[in-house]
Amino acid sequence: MGRRSLWESMRMSGRSIAGSPVRAALTALGVMIGVASVISLVALGRGAQEEVAGGLQQLGSNLLIVYSGAPRGTALVRTNISNIRPTLTETDLETIRGFPADMVTYVAPASTANAQLKYENRNTVSTVIGTTPEYTEVRNFRPAYGEFFSQSDVDSRSSVAAIGMQVYRDLFAPGTDPVGQRMRVNGISFRIVGVMEEKGDAAQDNSVLIPITTYQRRISGDSNYAMIAIQAASPDVMRPLQATIEEHLLRLHRLPSMESADFYVANQLDLLATVEGVAGTFTLMLASIAAISLVVGGVGIMNIMLVSVTERTREIGVRMALGARRRDIISQFLTEAVLIALGGGLIGIAIGVGGSWAVTEFARIASHITPISIVAAFGFSILVGLFFGGYPAWRASRLDPIEALRYE
Amino acid sequence: MITMTDVSKEYRMGAETVHALAGVSLQIDSGDFVSIMGPSGSGKSTLMNIIGCLDTPTRGSYRLADEPVERLSPDRLAEVRNSAIGFVFQTFNLLPRLNALENVELPLVYAGISSGERRATARELLDRVGLSDRVRHRPNELSGGQRQRVAIARALATKPRVLLADEPTGALDTRTGSEIMDLLEELNHDGTTLVLVTHEPELAERARRVIRLLDGRVA
Repeated sequence: MGRRSLWESMRMSGRSIAGSPVRAALTALGVMIGVASVISLVALGRGAQEEVAGGLQQLGSNLLIVYSGAPRGTALVRTNISNIRPTLTETDLETIRGFPADMVTYVAPASTANAQLKYENRNTVSTVIGTTPEYTEVRNFRPAYGEFFSQSDVDSRSSVAAIGMQVYRDLFAPGTDPVGQRMRVNGISFRIVGVMEEKGDAAQDNSVLIPITTYQRRISGDSNYAMIAIQAASPDVMRPLQATIEEHLLRLHRLPSMESADFYVANQLDLLATVEGVAGTFTLMLASIAAISLVVGGVGIMNIMLVSVTERTREIGVRMALGARRRDIISQFLTEAVLIALGGGLIGIAIGVGGSWAVTEFARIASHITPISIVAAFGFSILVGLFFGGYPAWRASRLDPIEALRYE
Repeated sequence: MITMTDVSKEYRMGAETVHALAGVSLQIDSGDFVSIMGPSGSGKSTLMNIIGCLDTPTRGSYRLADEPVERLSPDRLAEVRNSAIGFVFQTFNLLPRLNALENVELPLVYAGISSGERRATARELLDRVGLSDRVRHRPNELSGGQRQRVAIARALATKPRVLLADEPTGALDTRTGSEIMDLLEELNHDGTTLVLVTHEPELAERARRVIRLLDGRVA
């Protein structure tokens, strides 16, 4: 079809739409609602997905954790590992620390146990974590007040502790400065050096962090580590790094394969992929439901276009007598259907974008409009017009001019 | 201009075959004015549809301006209608949403003429039929006679070889009808071949030649 005849078709269709604007608007309504719901539901789905992924990044970036014991579940951060026998040795730790800097940025060993805390006459139960100062980097978990213990505290097996925000609230009256105070962990006296920032995660907020050496000597009496947390140098090296760690540790532990291993490596990428996969499926499901309404809108267009073809049978006959070819008739009706669908689509995009914005602005529900969803909605409207306008237009083009001219 | 040799047209009506035309041969020369007469059911409409390339014969040959048109595809027939035939209908058949000018432009749209050129041609033709002060009027704002003048201007838009008028005065009062006939005769004088289909003898008599149809044959 030439540019001129397309332009003529658009002029004719524009006239026809302008001739019955209410009908055109009602016809477009279905597509409008469909497009608006696709846009806003996808935006809400994306918003939820990004919120969850953002929450995962809070755990630490490019995080790999080597755990003792056989693999259990897909969780990246396992809270209850106190009952698992630690299998990771000092040699394992030093091997990982020896990896080049373009693979590994920080390495922090950790072991945990449940512990009874006591300050003056207050008691609470929390998780005591023995680790090193690198832990703050690897887990993106920093003191909000005071400071974390130092490497020299680790070297000298000092009895110092950084406490989680929940522990602070349980043990201290509001407004009390805990730094320098002494509390008891399983009856052993520790000097508090800092209070950690609040993460909104019970496992971290209700923990007490002490030097790993002190932990091994005074809490567990075991020289192995329950886990080794690692920050990879970049997301790209996470999978090779995981493979390298598995290879080295299998050799050190004299094990044939990961099937019989007494350790496993949890990878943040896997968790991210899982969560994003779930959220993506959810978004896709929402979009599909919305797409159904788009199809229903298309059926509405087809219905009205068929009525319109019947009503305008005589007009079609006259046009044919004056020299309209079949493709002229097809392009006239097809253009009309596409214009109606596109009009509905454009208004639908505006409503969808506006609706998502309003939901985020007033109801504080995360939403994220992606350009691709707008482009897709735009393209989909054209496709709906072409598809559902196609049959009525074809019917119109197949009319017998003699019959059509005789039609009353 | 028009040469028909032994043209037949048959329709199937259920189990029966209707012979609308049974071997019609006729010749219409360029610049001629011919009336086709006959009672209803005589095959008049069928003959007119075939002459106007709206329909094709079952048998026989039809040459329009030396081109055989009896076996053309629907789209080629549309192009022939557009360039070679001008239709004038009893009920005008103007498109109600378009004004006079746009109605006259319509055949030129399908001929692929540019908008500026179309406009100029349509104005000229409306001027020719005496409606230069009505170009922006829609059909429902015009009298019957004026509507038929618009329709005639439209029929002339692509400078067709043949003007095919099917009962052009049938929906008009006597005086207006006679004015329309005067206009058609004038156009014929200027060189357009005119084929008039009618059942009124006094109209048919104005033609140079009358072809009478009866039971699908030339009587």
